[in-house]
Amino acid sequence: MGLLEFINFYLIPGIVLGSIYALGAVGITLIFAILRYAHLAHGDLATLGAFIALAIVTSAGISPLAALPFAIVATAVVAVGIDKVFYEHLRERPKIITVIASLGIALMIRAVVQVIWGVDSESYVRGISRPDVYFGLRIRDREIFTVLAMLGLVGALYVFLKQSKWGKAMRAMSDNPNLALLSGIDNRVVIMLTWIIAGGLCAAAGVFLGINTEIKSMMGWHMLLPMFAAAILGGVGRVEGAVLGGLIVGITEELSVLILPGEYKAAMAFVILLFMLLVRPTGILRGKVL
Amino acid sequence: MKTKLLAVTAGLLTATMLASAPAKADVKIGLIGGVSGPIAAMAPAMIDAARLAITHVNDQGGILDGETLVGVVGDSACNPQGGTDAATKAVNIEGVLAIVGPHCSGAVLAATGSVTVPAGVVVVTPSGTSPEISNIADNDTVFRTVPSDDYQGRALARTLRERGYDKVAVAYINNDYGTGLANAFRGEFEAQGGEIAGFAAHEDGKASYRSNLAELASGGADTLVLFDYGDGTGLTILRQALENGFFEKFVGGDGMKSDAPINELGAENLATFVASAPVGEKSASLDTFNALFKEAGGDPDAIFVTTSYDAAFLAALALEKAGGDKAGVAAALREVSNGEGEPIGPGEWSKAKELIAAGTAIDYKGAAGDHNFDANGDVPGTFALFEVGADGFEVITEMK
Repeated sequence: MGLLEFINFYLIPGIVLGSIYALGAVGITLIFAILRYAHLAHGDLATLGAFIALAIVTSAGISPLAALPFAIVATAVVAVGIDKVFYEHLRERPKIITVIASLGIALMIRAVVQVIWGVDSESYVRGISRPDVYFGLRIRDREIFTVLAMLGLVGALYVFLKQSKWGKAMRAMSDNPNLALLSGIDNRVVIMLTWIIAGGLCAAAGVFLGINTEIKSMMGWHMLLPMFAAAILGGVGRVEGAVLGGLIVGITEELSVLILPGEYKAAMAFVILLFMLLVRPTGILRGKVL
Repeated sequence: MKTKLLAVTAGLLTATMLASAPAKADVKIGLIGGVSGPIAAMAPAMIDAARLAITHVNDQGGILDGETLVGVVGDSACNPQGGTDAATKAVNIEGVLAIVGPHCSGAVLAATGSVTVPAGVVVVTPSGTSPEISNIADNDTVFRTVPSDDYQGRALARTLRERGYDKVAVAYINNDYGTGLANAFRGEFEAQGGEIAGFAAHEDGKASYRSNLAELASGGADTLVLFDYGDGTGLTILRQALENGFFEKFVGGDGMKSDAPINELGAENLATFVASAPVGEKSASLDTFNALFKEAGGDPDAIFVTTSYDAAFLAALALEKAGGDKAGVAAALREVSNGEGEPIGPGEWSKAKELIAAGTAIDYKGAAGDHNFDANGDVPGTFALFEVGADGFEVITEMK
């Protein structure tokens, strides 16, 4: 196998897939860091974002990338709403109750998607698009956009967390919730911000998965495990870790086919998750929470 | 607050009781299909066809003592867990006397093994094609109106060899359907002197299959044989293979003969794509069904509609013959379609009902075939190879 073939058919798909996982994993890691629970409805929230974008694409006739900001805003609103309606009164209860509740939310979101949009596979653009060739590298526009958008969104989030007042408040909540509350940080705003960011990133993950494959009601659920693996691999609570973790999981899944039979590809995320929990449960970048 | 809640609950309770109190006891059969999941595009037409059979029963005097036959739809999601859940609900909560479905082989195997065989409920699947279904220890309660993939895989292999396909790579979904079909195909294709240059299973629901495709293409084959679902992973794989030019020609099994690839990829990109599927043998029954289904607003060329209609009609005939006794349905099913007796075609419910009442033997000649079940509850069948034309799938040739 030549180097070009390796890059074209194993590495590039791995990076694109990894970028999509990274977008979801950042949200998971943020919720884990600030609210301290695993949010199992994350995948289905991404599905919802993808379908909202589909509704905008079909009704307004614009490209999915142009619909992305609207989908991000709409999904962020839904995420905040879900938190207010369902998770808020569980906040003082043991966290496991919220985790299980989020599984219920996942089923509810999926059911709503299936009722509104049906259960068929859809796509934003009909037909196929063949890749452009740059110096022997076969890359599609949409793949460049996916990686760039991931870097842009996560970069903006990183600057927000490091520089802005509310970003610092979010980090304070993640480091020591009691101390943060004592020093006068309004935790309701912090929690709302967390959901806005997580919901928005979810929508981005869903839309980019939809752009690169198809849009179907189970798409997000199938991504949930790799996204969790990415978050834990990178270190729970570390945004840059989630990106690194997402890319590693994505690339490993694609490369696994070289060594293992193809049907074990889906198990790679499990293997990575298990290996990290056994060897280095804090993750590559030493997560702050686990 | 408490009184209010109580009032609401009481109101709801009354409403439920009113809604579920029928004038006469309904006779229920389960219609369990892959409503969501990878065959979602095929399932509605199949369920419509089964419902048409139920409509015919109810319009022509109903079942047993003029009771209404009700089809209770359940979603198997085309996977074993979904199939088991839907069958459990149908058998234990709805109290169905027979089940039409589940649609997918994995769901059939799981639902029969854990629910319907222990409960003694007859299952007639219109589309569970895995060879494994023949081997279920079922006390003779599992039937199908669709031929086993053992036939389809072999017929497809022979047809491809005749049409000059020498070297192919096979990708199949890692479940009971894909594995059964792929193995049947491989055996016959190699026996006919063809070469399998790649043979790999893949898992459902991943976003990228480019590395899988690159591995398969590395064997040097120009044809990809894909045993998957056209509304699920099969669509993703077909898209990525076309976009990246891994293969020139594509061959699908019955699962790929779905409208989803045409709708999403465009017919112009599918010029080299062919798919095999079971077809009804030309018969008076098939013509009758086609006319009836078209009249009811359905597309008679949609996949598995004939088998779905036959499954539901046969289940109704068997229930009538058994006098509504669940334990007698299996034996009655064999009696109403064993090749001996007065022939009954699709839609001829009142005639069948009179003959059964008079004690005359009847023989259902279905839209998809005569359905003379063998010892395993299987039927032989005919298949055709389809290509994508301007108006969807068009038959190229019969497969022998």
